[in-house]
Amino acid sequence: MFLRLALRNVFRNRVRSLITLAAIAFGSTSLIIAGGFIEDTFIQLRESYIHSFLGHLQIYKKGFYEKGGARPFDYMMTDHEEITREIYSVEGVRQVTPRLEFSGLLSTGETTISFIGQGVDPEGERQISSFVQLDKGENLASGDKYHVILGKGLAHGIMADVGDPVILVANTMGGSINGLDVVVKGIFFTSSKAYDDRALRVPIKTAQRLLRTDEIQSLVVLLDDTAKTDLVKERLERIFEERGHDLEIIPWYEMADFYNKTVDLYKRQFFVLKLIIGIIVVLSIFNTMNMSVLERIGEVGTIMAIGTRRSGVVRLFLLEGIILGFFGGILGLVGGYVLASIISYIGIPMPPPPGATIYWTAAIRIVPGVFAFSFALALVTALFSSVYPAYKACRLEIAEALRHNV
Amino acid sequence: MVTLEEISKNYYLGSTVVNAVSDISITVNDGEFMALVGPSGSGKSTLLNIIGCIEKPTSGRITLDGTDVTDVPTDRLADIRARRIGYIFQTFNLLPVLTVSENVEYPLHLQGVDKAERRRRVEKVLHEVGLERFSTHKPAELSGGQRQRVAIARALVGSPSMILADEPTANLDHKTGMDILTKMKELNQRLGITFIFSTHDQKIMSIADRIVELRDGRLSNN
Repeated sequence: MFLRLALRNVFRNRVRSLITLAAIAFGSTSLIIAGGFIEDTFIQLRESYIHSFLGHLQIYKKGFYEKGGARPFDYMMTDHEEITREIYSVEGVRQVTPRLEFSGLLSTGETTISFIGQGVDPEGERQISSFVQLDKGENLASGDKYHVILGKGLAHGIMADVGDPVILVANTMGGSINGLDVVVKGIFFTSSKAYDDRALRVPIKTAQRLLRTDEIQSLVVLLDDTAKTDLVKERLERIFEERGHDLEIIPWYEMADFYNKTVDLYKRQFFVLKLIIGIIVVLSIFNTMNMSVLERIGEVGTIMAIGTRRSGVVRLFLLEGIILGFFGGILGLVGGYVLASIISYIGIPMPPPPGATIYWTAAIRIVPGVFAFSFALALVTALFSSVYPAYKACRLEIAEALRHNV
Repeated sequence: MVTLEEISKNYYLGSTVVNAVSDISITVNDGEFMALVGPSGSGKSTLLNIIGCIEKPTSGRITLDGTDVTDVPTDRLADIRARRIGYIFQTFNLLPVLTVSENVEYPLHLQGVDKAERRRRVEKVLHEVGLERFSTHKPAELSGGQRQRVAIARALVGSPSMILADEPTANLDHKTGMDILTKMKELNQRLGITFIFSTHDQKIMSIADRIVELRDGRLSNN
């Protein structure tokens, strides 16, 4: 009976109720759009980092991640082929590829510049570095020996173009200096301008020849789903422990500092947005509910006179708030879904993020968590804004309230 | 049976104390059909509210069927009103969003009566007041007399021992008012329900078994 009464009370003043529902729905839809946009930004940024150079997991000799920067050659892996086989045995692993990182000087004969180099397996890297895009020339291929691809900023810095011969100079593992003549096969760019300004890639065999070693530094693992990162990491840790490998596994999120800071910043902004929307919804429903109490003082007096307890009156007004929140929330979900689909179909052209060079197209992700949150927010704020009107209604003096009927 | 002992009710209008009713002692026996009469402001409605457990007296004692209800907590008073007292108001006070049968059903819902029994009793009382054809109508679709009949049905449906009616005919024309009073009198005689109603219409006082007159908040004739 209370539900029926509450439902009919809500819709007795249709125009006012529709305006209130529109305010709640607008709030929910705004959250869905903002949340879906932010989620899309997170995912695209995350995937661009993972597929540009990080992979999902990087496996090093224990201690490399902390101390390897100063003495990289102290943490080389010798038995990487066996380890690679073991990694492939875990479900969810799509690709494993070795890398050898080094630094040195790059020279055209006229200009010399420092670089950070990666020796990569061209075939293995093809999937992992799918976000590495060629600006000019071609990517490395298996069989390449004396070829290099340069980051766009690095190529620009030494004024090198595709086909130009360049010299790589680096310290060997033994401490001497070695140089190699290579040809620029391509010029690439990624989502990180800072990386493109200093990075070059050569086939891993070429890097090993330059550094005079047969060893590698890391294995980069690509998974079929980013969500499996922790699961695969745990399984690999168990396998490495069982087999007695002295290795450490670094997941992508520990390496993606810029991503983490961006997520942190956006989440705070989103929190403020949620707060503002919540306040708007509270104020709009509060006004409706308060008006409703003022208009129905006589009715409240009547139902109390014929035996409704104060708690019953409270329940009635809270129910009305919940009904408004429920229908407003549903409208918001539908509106959010439709609008998100339309916007995603059209796409939002976005400028490169700070420190990046690539223009990208944003979409509005349909995130079940955001949908659930926006619906819950509609319900909770509606309920919250009904509390005071409900309290006010139940504290009415019955005799005084009945006089409002006359 | 209702017993009032030296009941007084004071209101505060700013710093001024208004004595709505003063020092009233009265006993209403079961099955009485009693009219509270007096001019406007004489304290009829206040006294009716005190008898109906809607207002608490400032002083004095009130007992309902032997139970002292003077200092009973608010929720307990609500339960007493729901189970033992029926109300008929001058302005009918039907809930506009509910249909006739839903309005009548409301007190049964408060009593926790199950659905099948609620339906049976609603049909019975609507038949009693001659409105069974209007059960799905909203109050706004009814005449004043029909609305007051719905109010009688609502007061009657919970099988109260007492029905209080505050100026039940004031918003009705003379003939309709007399019809309503005749109906109330018939229910009083047939079902033995105590009726206490306030009125200042001298013509319809003739139907009452007992007339209690109030003047300036005091009994002037019992």
